Amino acid sequence: MGKLAGKKLLLLGERDGVPGPAMEACLKDSGAEIIFSATECFV
Amino acid sequence: MSKVGIKSYSYCLNHAPETGSHYGGTPWEAIHSGKEQEYLDALPKHLQSYDHALHYAPNQTYIGGISYEEFEAIPAPWVDKPLPDEKAKRYGKFGELMPEDEFLGLISACDEFELVWLEKSFAESVSKKLAEDPVITEAIVKRVVRPKNMQEFADIEKEVAERGALPLYHDNKVVGCIRMGHPTDHCLTAHVLMENLAGKASGVLALLHLLKNSGLNPLDLDFVIECSEEGAGDVGQRAGGNFAKAIAEVAGCTNASGCDVRGFCAGPVNAMINAAAQVASGARKNIAVVAGGSIPKLYMNSRDHVKKNLLALEDCVGSFAVLIVPDDGTMPVMRLDVLGKHTVGAGGAPQAVTSALTFEPLQAAGLTFSDVDRFAPELQNHEITEPAGAGNVPLANIKMIAALAVMKKAIEKADMMNFIKQHGTIGYAHTQGHIPAGVPFIGPACELIKEGKIKRAMIIGKGSLFLARLTNLADGASFLIEAPSPIEQTASVSKDDIKAMILEALSEIAGKLA
Repeated sequence: MGKLAGKKLLLLGERDGVPGPAMEACLKDSGAEIIFSATECFV
Repeated sequence: MSKVGIKSYSYCLNHAPETGSHYGGTPWEAIHSGKEQEYLDALPKHLQSYDHALHYAPNQTYIGGISYEEFEAIPAPWVDKPLPDEKAKRYGKFGELMPEDEFLGLISACDEFELVWLEKSFAESVSKKLAEDPVITEAIVKRVVRPKNMQEFADIEKEVAERGALPLYHDNKVVGCIRMGHPTDHCLTAHVLMENLAGKASGVLALLHLLKNSGLNPLDLDFVIECSEEGAGDVGQRAGGNFAKAIAEVAGCTNASGCDVRGFCAGPVNAMINAAAQVASGARKNIAVVAGGSIPKLYMNSRDHVKKNLLALEDCVGSFAVLIVPDDGTMPVMRLDVLGKHTVGAGGAPQAVTSALTFEPLQAAGLTFSDVDRFAPELQNHEITEPAGAGNVPLANIKMIAALAVMKKAIEKADMMNFIKQHGTIGYAHTQGHIPAGVPFIGPACELIKEGKIKRAMIIGKGSLFLARLTNLADGASFLIEAPSPIEQTASVSKDDIKAMILEALSEIAGKLA
């Protein structure tokens, strides 16, 4: 549990950067609630 | 080792600022939301003229007006460094940059269902201009002036006002329209048909240039694989296809058939692998991999370009074509034993994706990162993407490849920046989705290989599958292009050899029986 514990997270990923599911995996044990996660493509 | 030859390639652009500023995805959305009048009023002041587009270094690099090495020597920003007139021609080594009025004429020529009406004098004028294009056939020129595709201005106005047609513009005037394909089918609206006919027409142009560049008789083309991101169909099968055969028909390839391969921006690399496998197996004697471009992608990032008072550069419909033939030891080859595959289980972490597309196929072939002279992953022009906050995509990708090379101890950490500079590629392609996906570098890579300047290049495409809401996954695929090597001669066995072998075997048996 870190400083994100109890927080709500909106994750906006990018295909050529860090995609949403990868961020979700990293934050799985942070104690935060992921209320939205998506990956977008801007190119 | 299975290999196929890359005989030829073509790259074309169709300048389409007026079509794009009305029907590009972002302007279209703004027009229909009714909430972005300020942006819509400003956009026309940010459009690039055809002459400026011709002098723009990334465009000339794409069509082969300047070499990749010449482009690399020009530091960004390129928008304020117009090329000299002698390097800013309509036709390059790979293809051409066609003006918008002629593109509208070509779209009309690609229509089989009286969907495109051009105003009579406009149609006659563009047919004359198209006749000057060295790849446009007489048959295509004649199609532009078919009576059923030419109408009076009043009829065009009425079709737009009363029957759901969409106007086509040139010099800020209505010069024609695209009509609905069906009164109720949402897959055959004028907007959908405009996208599809523009995709078809730009694909035709690329195929015609491919035939010219390769010297191949259109009648000798065996098969076409089309790999854009458009969906052609009706309400019962909204992306049933088939662009490939429709393109081959207009290009006069009457002995060819074709099919479409889709995978968002990973489509072209997957299509190349598909084509190469069919040619290497002997299933097809040659295949043209072709993609037309995208109207919805025009001015995709223009909100930010307008906001930052920059030229809106996303004004060209891109296209390409590559001719795959059996390897004869004389032309650059595509290896079928070095294919990157982003598996379902690989996950979406950048390191895992990069490993699947570069390290793993190279390792399996006994190669390492430094054996590849150039990596070409996603070649979007960063002068377009950076102001919109999408970063420098090719640079981000080669940095990830370099970091992985360090992790795998293929290079020293201190050499990372050198590796990025020497083995990366600078993006010069329009943000046309599948068009920048590694494939623009097939041509320059083959040229550099023929000139003896490089031995290998890796082409990498990545597809945003998650946009279709079917899966959260992305996709990626890659392949390696190499310098040719002499064909290994397979020893042939004659009838006499076989007779001698049978006699030998029989005498052995006879000896054992005795």
